[in-house]
Amino acid sequence: MNVFFIIVSVFLLLNIALGLFRVWRGPTIADRLLTTQLFGTTGMAILIVLAGYLQELTLLNVAITFNVLAILLVIGLVKVWKIKKGDTP
Amino acid sequence: MSILIDILLAIIMVYLAIQCLLTPRLIQSVFLFFAFGLGLALAWVRLGAIDVAITEAAIAAGFLGVLFLDALKSFAPKVSVKQDNLEDIYKLPRRNIKSLILPRVILVLGLALFLFIALEAVWMIPDGGGLTASAEALLPQSGVEHPVTAVLLNFRAYDTWLEIGVILLGLLGVFVAGGIKLYKKPGASKPDPMLRQVILFVTPVLFLFGAFLLYIGKTGPGGAFQAAVLWGAIGILLHLGGKPIFAMIPRWLFHLILTMGLGFFLVLGFLLIADGRTLFEYPPAYAGLLILIIETLGAISIAAALTAIYANLNQMEEETNEVEPTT
Amino acid sequence: MMIKEIITVILIVVGCFFFLAGTLGVLRFPDLFSRLHALTKADNLGLGFIAAGMAVYIASPWAALKILSIWVFTLLASSTSCYLIARFQKEQEQPENRKEQE
Repeated sequence: MNVFFIIVSVFLLLNIALGLFRVWRGPTIADRLLTTQLFGTTGMAILIVLAGYLQELTLLNVAITFNVLAILLVIGLVKVWKIKKGDTP
Repeated sequence: MSILIDILLAIIMVYLAIQCLLTPRLIQSVFLFFAFGLGLALAWVRLGAIDVAITEAAIAAGFLGVLFLDALKSFAPKVSVKQDNLEDIYKLPRRNIKSLILPRVILVLGLALFLFIALEAVWMIPDGGGLTASAEALLPQSGVEHPVTAVLLNFRAYDTWLEIGVILLGLLGVFVAGGIKLYKKPGASKPDPMLRQVILFVTPVLFLFGAFLLYIGKTGPGGAFQAAVLWGAIGILLHLGGKPIFAMIPRWLFHLILTMGLGFFLVLGFLLIADGRTLFEYPPAYAGLLILIIETLGAISIAAALTAIYANLNQMEEETNEVEPTT
Repeated sequence: MMIKEIITVILIVVGCFFFLAGTLGVLRFPDLFSRLHALTKADNLGLGFIAAGMAVYIASPWAALKILSIWVFTLLASSTSCYLIARFQKEQEQPENRKEQE
């Protein structure tokens, strides 16, 4: 069973590594932000799997921290980078 | 077998660190840095330092994220810039090869020195485990059960006190840079029901989980700094949602909240010295209660400082820069 | 004992499939709005199945409650953040702004 958890963790980490291409490529800032959200979710999944594998339930607290703060980035981008309507020449 | 995870994580981290420095565009660096923060949190988990992992998760995913996005806005090309010039702005200036030789030599020498020191440090790790044994022995007297919290708030309380001061100094730096006054935005932004609902829902969750982390710090990973980032996120969310709390409360209350943690620490240390003890040597009977009070006040102060840093930086930008940037 | 592990393996493999689908979608889909669609699959179903599998495996009510709260909060947060990102992009792509796209 432990081997299975390790394989799952490595698989999810490889997913993150694959997704890095989209962060690098863009083309808009919303794309990069979206991929960062995906990374956050994948990281949460890895943490949950590791919590079972290491039998360390405090890892769930790390996952919840990622979880509740993930939306802060989105609101931080959406509110700050807003274009005023009709303001562009 | 579990070394597979560690190897893959190490490769990703080193690759990300190099990419963060070498990508030609700032925007790529910033978002790769977010991924780097996630990897760093996972690496701390693999090293068994869950306290640090929670802090890294909170700071990298939350506070640094919004700060970087805010800073990135001022580097975005202005509307007046022509499409053709965009590439020139984003690309680093190309220098001729000759002028790069000296920096490269310095870089290689510095890397070699760093590797040497790192190897030496790893080689010289003492077998005795340092101060672990004596810290464990004194744990019952410290008033808490989690060794990390005991070290941070009892054995080495002096350091933690100064760390709260460092964050306040950072805020002073922002004040000096020009953002003293927080103000409500003239002409409130158009009502945004979705955003309002999100903030209404997220705020209590952030508060509750922060309080949980603060309290759990007694017995397990968690504590004042992690809770402070979560509570600071509440302030940032309210600021972004058009309700800057520190512009609404009176000035003296704001200053009281900011200096509360540092001040209580200081008064406590003074009273302890007057009582004939050394600085921050709590009486063991009250240590648990005192640590809880210090943590709560400290967390509120740090949260207020983080909120004020973000809010001031955000508004400073709006004051000076009238032209709205685009992507 | 065995049945519990088999359930865990099946659930987690299904979850991994959705994560792979989400990542490939984010990589391969042509524009932002389709990529958002791929992202929500990973957020909702991928994390949901993995969380369910691990909740079955860990089998402690407190941990199960935490895992459930992680998933429920992700559902809410990801759907709202997808809405916010999509609206942000739509406002940027208004005809008068379209020129300034990178």
